[in-house]
Amino acid sequence: MDLVIALTINGLVWGLIVALIALGLSIIFGLLDIINVAHGDFFMVGTVLALVIAGTTGFWIALVLVPLLGLAMGLVVERLIIRPTISAASLTIVTTFGLSMILQETVRATFGAQPRRMAAPIQGTIPLFGLEYDVYRLFAAAFAALCIVAFFLFLSRTTLGTWIRAVRQDRETATALGIPVVRVCAFTFGLGTAMALLGGAIAAPITTVEFRTGVDILPVSFMAVVIGGLGNLKGTVAAAVLLAVLEGLISSFADPTLARITSLAVMCMVLLVKPRGLFAGATR
Amino acid sequence: MSKYQPDRRSFLSHALAGGVAAGTSYLGLTRDLYAQASGPIILGSHCELTGGFASWGYWHDKAAKAAVQLVNEQGGIAGRKVELITEDTESNPATGTRKLRSLIERNGANFIVGSVHSGVMLSAIPVATELKTVYFSAGEATEATGSKGTRYSFRTGTDTYALAAAGAPWAFENLGKNWTIISPDYAWGHSHYQEHKAMVERLGGKVNDPIFVPLDAKDMVPYLAKIPQETQVLFSVFFGAQSIAFYTQAKSMGLEKTMKMYSICGTMEAIAPADLQGAGEGVYIVENFPRVLKYKDDEFHREHNKRMGIDDVDAREANSQRVMAKSHAWQSWENVFALKNAIEKSGWKSKNDDKLVIEALEGMTLPNSLGHPQGTKILRREDHSGMVDCYISRVENGKLEVKKKVTKEDLIKALPPRFDFSKETI
Repeated sequence: MDLVIALTINGLVWGLIVALIALGLSIIFGLLDIINVAHGDFFMVGTVLALVIAGTTGFWIALVLVPLLGLAMGLVVERLIIRPTISAASLTIVTTFGLSMILQETVRATFGAQPRRMAAPIQGTIPLFGLEYDVYRLFAAAFAALCIVAFFLFLSRTTLGTWIRAVRQDRETATALGIPVVRVCAFTFGLGTAMALLGGAIAAPITTVEFRTGVDILPVSFMAVVIGGLGNLKGTVAAAVLLAVLEGLISSFADPTLARITSLAVMCMVLLVKPRGLFAGATR
Repeated sequence: MSKYQPDRRSFLSHALAGGVAAGTSYLGLTRDLYAQASGPIILGSHCELTGGFASWGYWHDKAAKAAVQLVNEQGGIAGRKVELITEDTESNPATGTRKLRSLIERNGANFIVGSVHSGVMLSAIPVATELKTVYFSAGEATEATGSKGTRYSFRTGTDTYALAAAGAPWAFENLGKNWTIISPDYAWGHSHYQEHKAMVERLGGKVNDPIFVPLDAKDMVPYLAKIPQETQVLFSVFFGAQSIAFYTQAKSMGLEKTMKMYSICGTMEAIAPADLQGAGEGVYIVENFPRVLKYKDDEFHREHNKRMGIDDVDAREANSQRVMAKSHAWQSWENVFALKNAIEKSGWKSKNDDKLVIEALEGMTLPNSLGHPQGTKILRREDHSGMVDCYISRVENGKLEVKKKVTKEDLIKALPPRFDFSKETI
């Protein structure tokens, strides 16, 4: 029983980090209808930048700088790559796929192919239902949860957040009311990118830093977005956490590989039974 | 629908043009096959320049290039210049197979210095065999010189069978008798599990259920939590990013306090233990080629390090953070010299003489030299496997300190050949 609880909590911890990354993917899709194949690579860039910046200025400054750099990076990518191709959804898949390869190879050519370890800024373990559990993981989950809450507060309590929701709801009316739609779209892409990089900075001390780190996180994020309902932000968070907890629960009594298969089976079931996502109809 | 309607005249002209093209290309092919006895010898390097194994592939590429440069400085092979053509497998078996065909069929590679990726090399061997081309594997999956090996498949380094024989008896005696094996869920990991399980059980130990980790797993906690508490030896087999994730997360869970951490060279390959910032301390590793020069301190090892541009402690590249995949990449260096020895010994002139090279390689002794800086080795006649000295090392203060040397003679005694390719017809 202890193992069940411990792995469920671990699932929740990992799920919150994934939720932060998936939320960035979801907001980009929800507003711009872009399936951003490079989102995992933005996460990877976040881990690399966190390692590099933390090496000179310390982890806490990196945690602040990395999302800001992500925002800037997102704005540049939106202007140079996304905006010229946004008219055709299929074209954005191709361009973001190309961007994914460019990011990976740029990091490989400059940072090197060698995987690196980033030391956690908080050391130590605590006993958790029979496991010695890393304290930094608990911090990472709490921080990710805080960022998610802050994101929703931003959307509901600020003018810019209201504009984003307005453009999402009815782009033409938003334009008629004088909302700078083009700039809102650019900022939204930048915000989604910043969330991926922030997720990378948080996850870097837990996982490994290398040019392919983002390849594996992308499918998990997509699963959360699909199960939560494409563009449904709260659904995405719920789905990311649910999937991770489910995997943790199944891992406690069965082969962890079976847990991953179960997640994929759940996604297939949702696509068959509720093609618009598990949380379709919920507030966006 | 097309409005094009071929008439008899256009059909004949196209057929004639096609026939001329086919005939010309056939003549070109035969020219390549039979008229190259005096041109350069073309070696193909089938290498992971990108993808998951890129941090290893970089060194295999560099080693092969450095070896070819050295060979050419020394006058080439049998007086003929050597050209090296490299193809990137992208660490992907499907791509690797396609690139191997390109190396042999389009670029005319005479011999192949092959992949270190188990999946790539295992899918490459049938192609190399079909195209009747000698292929040197550098990965560890035992099948390459075992159940999936052929007369054309060679390996100068160790496989999972040899690594189990080299390290498991010592680890069983000194570290513990209750083992759990955790490895990636693909050919390399499964191969290690089978060989080590057989070895430990033969010695009278207990091997718990294996834990196979999907290659895309980022969070290792669900897998580490499954390790039975009675485990005395945790044998891990990972590479690259997953290695670091494993050591980092195992350390954060304090596993090293209750069990001994034991592994093979691949798990610490292209990684400086010091870069793990303490997470690798106390881990035992079976090495093929000591990371630290002083454990095989001779002029050949020193010159090899110099030519590879690495330091003598961490095997780190000068002016970069890269660490040489030293326990594997030496094969890409030495395979070039093994081929040089075999070509010169056999009198090989062209592809028609490949049988002579294969016969020369079978049972060949490769003496400790600049061409073979890892040490003297025997390329066993039956299973085409290299019998080499191995080293059991421990990470102490961020360095790999050798604790025991297992000689090739000891290894030969513990490793009866299970296959005999030398009886296969060519």
